[in-house]
Amino acid sequence: MMKNKNKGFLIPPINLFPRNRKGDKILSVYWFAILIIVAGGIFGMVYVFYGAPYDVREIESDLLINKIADCISYAGKINSNFIFNGVIIHNNESLLKQCHLIFNSSEWDEEQYYAEINFYRLGDLNNSFLNIYAGNNKWLANCAIQENKEFEKLAKCNRASFYSVDNSNNQYIIKILSVVRKAEKNAKL
Amino acid sequence: MKRGSLLVENVIFIVLNLIFITILAFFIFRQGNGAIVLEQSYAKNIALLIDTAKPITEMKLNMEDAMTLAEKNGVRREEIVTKKGNVITVKLSKQGGYQYSFFNNVDVSIYPDVVPEKNYIIKINGYNQ
Repeated sequence: MMKNKNKGFLIPPINLFPRNRKGDKILSVYWFAILIIVAGGIFGMVYVFYGAPYDVREIESDLLINKIADCISYAGKINSNFIFNGVIIHNNESLLKQCHLIFNSSEWDEEQYYAEINFYRLGDLNNSFLNIYAGNNKWLANCAIQENKEFEKLAKCNRASFYSVDNSNNQYIIKILSVVRKAEKNAKL
Repeated sequence: MKRGSLLVENVIFIVLNLIFITILAFFIFRQGNGAIVLEQSYAKNIALLIDTAKPITEMKLNMEDAMTLAEKNGVRREEIVTKKGNVITVKLSKQGGYQYSFFNNVDVSIYPDVVPEKNYIIKINGYNQ
């Protein structure tokens, strides 16, 4: 009797483990529910994260622009195969060949790229005097509706412009548009 | 309720929790290092490297994790990365494989490095005619 009294004095008589185990059963069911919810959440997050493919189209369209820009103008001078003494030399057919590009592949039924190059004389920036196209212009329509979130996964469009001169020092602004589709491999549709 | 049984219950409870956390961690690790994710990552990586490269360029790509996984799945080192036309295929399991195309019209050679064995060599020989 005395022994029990001393124990209550030294250790506060808090009943951490009550004799009634009904509450424990409810707690264990609740705990398992929490575990299932946490596991479900983690499985879901991991599935969403790894289920979506890596989208590299932005990088790809950037690379395409750089490649075309290097082909058209090097060190600030326009390639004489495009414009020579202010005269247009180039025709559409040879862009892919001249810039060492290949837009078709066995992976896709139709070409997944489109590129457009517009040359403007510095004095007249509203009217382009030379336009060169290559690839599948079907994807061009996607650029206009890309602002809408619903269509942003269709194709990636990228634009760049730069200044260059020809061999006679005529000045030009060159605008390049590149479009990469490959939606099935880069976005969860 | 005896104190001995209480201890056993708590130990079982902690062990079950540890098993649960271990399974979750293993699942996340497997997902991140799985063949499907690595195949896609390396195929796109190699295609973009080729798109960036200019002729007479040699690149070494560290593919240690992919090679370890391929070896485990019975895929030979030479079969991990293959090129057909302008399509790169990365294969890390017998039934798997991921393809991605590149737009740079170049002549490319892709083969595993001899020393160190973890690398793959991507060699841009020149432009295709």
